[in-house]
Amino acid sequence: MKKVFNISLASRSFTLEEDAYNRLSEYLEHFRTRLAASSGVPYTQNAEVMEDLESRIAELFAQEVGTNGRVVKLELVERVTRQLGMPDGAPESPEAGPAPTPGNTPVQKKIYRDYDNRRIAGVCAGLAIYLDIDVVLARVLMLVTLVAGLAGFWIYVICWIAIPEALTPTQKCEMYGLPVTAENLARFAQSTK
Amino acid sequence: MENTIDNIRAQMRKGLLDYCILSILGKHEAYASSLIEELKAAGMIVVEGTLYPLLIRQKNQGLLDYRWEESTQGPPRKYYVLSDKGREQLAQMDAAWQEIIESVNTLKRI
Repeated sequence: MKKVFNISLASRSFTLEEDAYNRLSEYLEHFRTRLAASSGVPYTQNAEVMEDLESRIAELFAQEVGTNGRVVKLELVERVTRQLGMPDGAPESPEAGPAPTPGNTPVQKKIYRDYDNRRIAGVCAGLAIYLDIDVVLARVLMLVTLVAGLAGFWIYVICWIAIPEALTPTQKCEMYGLPVTAENLARFAQSTK
Repeated sequence: MENTIDNIRAQMRKGLLDYCILSILGKHEAYASSLIEELKAAGMIVVEGTLYPLLIRQKNQGLLDYRWEESTQGPPRKYYVLSDKGREQLAQMDAAWQEIIESVNTLKRI
């Protein structure tokens, strides 16, 4: 069961599932931002461009779901937004890439402290994700270096200070090397609640 | 970098997109999605989003006009037509395009 939103696009009404609705709003926001940033178009024309874009989206949606009450799912929104792209033809978000298969394309991992799975400050858990090893192994190694001459203690303290903790969903995506897409963000947004 | 050639290709297409839009509309009036289909079929655009800002700009420059036309399904759609000014510009662009082709060919032969 999913929540749905009723929206009006170019004076046509559509029913979107919640995640589809979020993705579409995000896309339109990106498009508008990119449009404002591109130099060729004065600001006053942007509203007209957005109008044309929305009526095209409405057309594509209507082709898929018709008018007999079928809802628009995330998959359709992803397909349509891929087809439409950005006003400058570049990928929608440079760090996430064009997201051909959302959720599966690995991106550059960043090191973070994994605060959700912490024992003390999440250093070992974060290192384990970054190096793709087991958390237990990371903790055992840390303990061994701790016992063998206090080196582990200083390593831990330095890591604690130097490595930021992953707090926002975006940072968590980066920690796991996942592309920053609406889907992935939602996954972490729910897990932090 | 292996995507330089793609880059160059994209730049070329971008430069000619204005001309292509006018050429299509010079043959027949069209609404946005049939314009898109033709451009896509010809390999001129990859994503559609690039087209909308161009259309609006050309319209505001007075090269294009549009009228609303009722459609069988859904609300009325925008039909784009070439204005007189657009027709003039198209003729000039045709000439310019021929010149460029000739220049490039001449250079290649030397």
